[in-house]
Amino acid sequence: MGIVNQGVIKTSAIGSVIGESSILAPKSERHKREVHAELLLTALIDAFSILVIFLLMSFSSAGDLIVVGKGIELPKAAMGDQLDRQPVVKVEGGKLFVEDKQVQEANLVQALLDLRKKFQETRPGEEFPGIITIQGDRRLKYEQLNSIVLASSQAGFSDIKFAVISSN
Amino acid sequence: MSLKKKKSLDFEVNLIPFIDLLSTCICFLLLTAVWVNVASMNVKQAVGGQAAEAGTKKPTMWVAMAPNGDLTLDVKDARVPAKLAKFSIPGTQGKPNLELLGQAVSQLKSSEPALNTALIQPTAASVYEDIIGLMDGFKKSGVTDLGVSPL
Repeated sequence: MGIVNQGVIKTSAIGSVIGESSILAPKSERHKREVHAELLLTALIDAFSILVIFLLMSFSSAGDLIVVGKGIELPKAAMGDQLDRQPVVKVEGGKLFVEDKQVQEANLVQALLDLRKKFQETRPGEEFPGIITIQGDRRLKYEQLNSIVLASSQAGFSDIKFAVISSN
Repeated sequence: MSLKKKKSLDFEVNLIPFIDLLSTCICFLLLTAVWVNVASMNVKQAVGGQAAEAGTKKPTMWVAMAPNGDLTLDVKDARVPAKLAKFSIPGTQGKPNLELLGQAVSQLKSSEPALNTALIQPTAASVYEDIIGLMDGFKKSGVTDLGVSPL
C-alpha cells in the first residue's frame, strides 16, 4: 500500500492483481516488506518529446504525391525541387503508363492530348500549365525516355519534372 | 514563531495526460510519415525552350554526353576566354566526372556570371541516372535553367 500513497505513483500505480490477498502468503502470516517501485515518468516524457520533435521535423505536409512503381528505383539528386501533383508518365518494365494506365508508344501523344483536353474541360478559363512528371528507373537508357520527351513536347507539355529521390 | 501548522507547498503534476497526448501525437506522426522523400528535377525541353525565347540571347552552355562518359561543353553567347568556350571533360569509369564539371562551371561562372542555362544533349545509350547526376551537378554550381534535348 505504501507505494500507492507515495508521490506520482499515486495516480499511476500498477498494483498487483494478487495484492495483499495472496493465498501463498496471507496477510496475517507473512512478513510485510515494503516495495518502492516508483516509475520515472519524467524520463519517459523526455523520450516521447524527442520522438515527437523528430517526427514533426521530418513530417511532410505534401504527403505521397506519386506512387513509385514496384520495379522502379528512382535516381538520387541533392538539388531536387518540391514535387507537385501533375500528370505522371511512368516507364515500368519496358511498358509505358500514363496515370497508371498502360499505353502503347504510338498512342502516347494521344493519351497526353486527352489529359490536356480533360484539364481544359474540368478547369475552363484556367491556363494550362503544361507540366508533366516522368518516373523511370535509374538504369534506363535515354532512348526509352526520348519517346516521352518528344510526345510531351508534341502534346504541349513543355515543362518536364523527372521524379528523383531527394538525397539530402 | 507561529504555532499554526504550515501547509505543505509540495504539489504533484499529473503526468498521465501528458503521456496520453504525446503517445497520440507519436502514433499520428508515425502513421502519416512519408519516409521516401520524392523530389523532382525540373527541365524544359531544349528545342521548345529556345523557340520561346528566340528574341533574347542568353549565355548558354551546350553539354554533349558521350557513351563513355565524356562531356563536351560548348558555351555560346557568353564572354568567356577562348579556352573555356569549347572544351571536353573526360569521364571516369564510363560516367561523367562531376567533380571536374563543377570546377569547370565555377570558372565559367566567374567569367560570365549570367551563365545560368545548360542544355544537355544525351545519346541514346546515356543512362538516366547519369543525366540526372549531371543536372544535379549543374544545379549545385548555380546553373539552374536546364534543358534536355531529344535525340
